Amino acid sequence: MVKFLKPNKAVIVLQGRYAGRKAVIVKSFDEGTRDRPYGHCLVAGIKKYPSKVIRKDSAKKTAKKSRVKCFVKLVNYQHLMPTRYTLDVDLKDAVTVDALQTKDKKVAACKATKARFEERFKTGKNRWFFTKLRF
Amino acid sequence: MQKKTHESINNRLALVMKSGKYTLGYKTVLKSLRSSKGKLIIIANNCPPLRKSEIEYYAMLCKVGVHHYNGNNVDLGTACGKYFRVCCLSIIDPGDSDIIKSMPGDH
Repeated sequence: MVKFLKPNKAVIVLQGRYAGRKAVIVKSFDEGTRDRPYGHCLVAGIKKYPSKVIRKDSAKKTAKKSRVKCFVKLVNYQHLMPTRYTLDVDLKDAVTVDALQTKDKKVAACKATKARFEERFKTGKNRWFFTKLRF
Repeated sequence: MQKKTHESINNRLALVMKSGKYTLGYKTVLKSLRSSKGKLIIIANNCPPLRKSEIEYYAMLCKVGVHHYNGNNVDLGTACGKYFRVCCLSIIDPGDSDIIKSMPGDH
């Protein structure tokens, strides 16, 4: 009886090109909108996970391995698997629905989320979110 | 002792069917959990284990009780008064029944 599909919830995308990827809910539309008359949410997820960094790596190599590639998408609730994890990064200003209208706005939104995800990854917190889901 | 509680579940379920709101079936159960409308979930005992775990996980996120019915989907369908099999059902509004108050303690 507690709503759990709220912003900052970590979810796993189940369908589509990004199936199996972890994402975080930025904004949820429980009642749907006129174009999408079903419950859906705006998620920002990881397209390409950062690689494993070892102690032997040089600074240049760790920088290269810690790169994260992101995506931003509107997904139906049915195509998400919610998890018990949350990821509190502030993406509300960078990622909005109208960022999905044109290509350059979308690229700008993805760049902003990339920066936020990479700095979060480097702090070593939320390690579950940045590990690839094996299936 | 087990027979008695089993009958009482059936009685309570019959009362919910008559007076309350419910949905039957996996898809609608997940929908009711996502929208936090479900108050109690009942799962048949021959539900596939992956599906059972998934429903239990959603119910854990929403803090909703899950009751594992002592019978398979055929029995659960009969208990609901339907002529089809029901693997899982979600009670949205118990009506006159006290199933919500008595079941989670039991389970």
